[in-house]
Amino acid sequence: MTDGDGAGTGDGTGGGGGSAPRVWSRPALAVLVAGAVGLVTCTAGFLGALFLHVAPPNTLYQRYQKQVDGVVYPEFEQNWKLFAPDPLQQNVTVDARVRTAAGTGGWIGLTAQDIAAIRGNPIPSHLDQNLLRRAWDFYDSTHSNQDDSATAPNGGLAQEYLKRIALQRIGRAAGGDPVTAIQFRSGTREVAPPPWSRESWSTQIQYRELGWWPVTDQDYRGLR
Amino acid sequence: MSQSETGGGADGLVAGAGAGADGLVAGIPRQAAPPKVDQPVDQPVAGLVAGPVALARPVLGAVPVVRLADRIEAAVAGGFHTFTGRVLGPYQAATVRIGFALVFTLQLLREWPHRRVLYGDRSPWGLDLARQLLAGNHAFTVLVWSDSRWWFEAVYLFAVLAGILLMLGWRTRATSVLFMVAVLSLQNRSVLIGDGGDNIVHLMAIYLVFTRCGAVWSLDARRRGRGPGRVGHDVAGVLLWAALGGLLAAAQLAGRVDWLGATWPYLGWGVVFWTLWAVAGAWYAVNRWWPQSEPRAVLDALATMLHNCALLVIAVQVVLVYSTAGWYKVQGSRWQDGTALYYPMHLDYFAPWPWLSGVLGTSAVLVFLLSYGTVLVQVAFPFTLMNRRLKNVLLAVMMLEHLGIAVVLGLPIFSLAMITADAVFLPTAALVWFAGRVRRTARWGRAPMLRLLR
Repeated sequence: MTDGDGAGTGDGTGGGGGSAPRVWSRPALAVLVAGAVGLVTCTAGFLGALFLHVAPPNTLYQRYQKQVDGVVYPEFEQNWKLFAPDPLQQNVTVDARVRTAAGTGGWIGLTAQDIAAIRGNPIPSHLDQNLLRRAWDFYDSTHSNQDDSATAPNGGLAQEYLKRIALQRIGRAAGGDPVTAIQFRSGTREVAPPPWSRESWSTQIQYRELGWWPVTDQDYRGLR
Repeated sequence: MSQSETGGGADGLVAGAGAGADGLVAGIPRQAAPPKVDQPVDQPVAGLVAGPVALARPVLGAVPVVRLADRIEAAVAGGFHTFTGRVLGPYQAATVRIGFALVFTLQLLREWPHRRVLYGDRSPWGLDLARQLLAGNHAFTVLVWSDSRWWFEAVYLFAVLAGILLMLGWRTRATSVLFMVAVLSLQNRSVLIGDGGDNIVHLMAIYLVFTRCGAVWSLDARRRGRGPGRVGHDVAGVLLWAALGGLLAAAQLAGRVDWLGATWPYLGWGVVFWTLWAVAGAWYAVNRWWPQSEPRAVLDALATMLHNCALLVIAVQVVLVYSTAGWYKVQGSRWQDGTALYYPMHLDYFAPWPWLSGVLGTSAVLVFLLSYGTVLVQVAFPFTLMNRRLKNVLLAVMMLEHLGIAVVLGLPIFSLAMITADAVFLPTAALVWFAGRVRRTARWGRAPMLRLLR
């Protein structure tokens, strides 16, 4: 009953390949036609919703936004703008430093740790390739880059997440003293133009420093 | 299409074993039109319309000039017959099943050392954060049901087991649902650590539930092949069904599964799971006690229709991936000037072998050809589905490109997922040939292994 059922068993009930069509009773035919119409309608509606979800903003989507979003979210969400419209052309790094009773420590290259783990690794882990990278994207997309205020309802989650990623790596103490505050900075460096290109631009790293965030025991819950 | 292709053994294989997704996509629009039997039948539709053509042929032979209405009627009847009576692309569905189960299982095993940080009790994305996000988006995951480390470990192990069982095709109908639960649970709990590969696994895990993906290349198929008598006394199946019903009832009573969804169309997971469970029970009952009855035939036809719709969704989903990726690139200035692929190779996160990226990035001609070729292939792919040979060439190119991405950009699991998605469009003959190669290699590898074990 829980197996792949009788497809291909060739018992002739459903008719396979070129066999003669089964003669259905009237109620059976009614069920089948209703089933066929229902399935085809649902399939068409579903595919239409998927199409409107991945298509650029358009009038049809605006009109049926509630229905399209209802079908697509949360389980059928997708983004296939892979390297589009243009690939990312800058290396973004995230560094953190902590403050203890003894003073302020030096910058710790969190992204640099990721890159070191990826180098020479044929199967990089999501831990190194996605965790911090996407957490920073999440923070960046939910905060103003002028004054670091949250611009989206999930801004608080993004900040807490980023903080905990760094604290997990740094630990509870620095130089023997407990960590009391943490600060992040992101560095953006343009990828140099290809050697044959006539374009040129600066590849100096541009830093953006965030403010100091207090650290409490509560921030370490669950972290080892 | 070449005569050697249509006249050879491959044709019989394709026509007999189901047209495959290539037939599905290329064929369905043509169903509406009356089949042209006076011309050589196009290869892509040969498998799919074998039924309708066979039906229409005597009529056309007897009366040279047939009224349009009759031809449309014959086509509609033939289409309905195919839609209700033929499981299209059984080998393609099995490929999707095995491929994505393999991708997910490999991913779980690869992340085994990091599982607690990525999905479990040590995650910086703690369950309190995850619950806040889930309260807003209503995604399904069993991992928020308990904070216990052991609940997480059990779910992770269960996910590995579901992946392996789905690969093997053991009680495929039930296992595909368990696999979907495993995939959604892990991915929705830590939605911020996935990439495109996880996204496509997520989608396919849901679509697979509605296919007859265990019709071939499965333990189920082997069991059915041993004789119809055994199907009636499926003790393991009954126990599994009863156990899953009990678990579902427990989850429902604990208030973990809702009848109603939070947003339009207000469909809760409770309705989905109980419907699947009830249908599995009904299917067992009719097979056990009324194997020759019409209700069994009706259920069989409904399952076939559902399979055919789900396989169409899978095929269109893959087309949407490439169309979106291609069409949005057309607007990009770096894709236009032919330097686009130079940049991802110089992103530190996607350069496990900097020297390799460096070598590939030194040639303007190579980068230009690869960049333009990528856009061309992605944009053109949906349209080449109308032409079998062109489509197969493009598939080969896309698979090669994904092999390249696997190595150069350090994305092997993403690439394997995309190659599996591409394989939906491979002809049945190619899939059967590949399976034969795998089987031979396995047999060849088994002899020395057995010697070692002895």
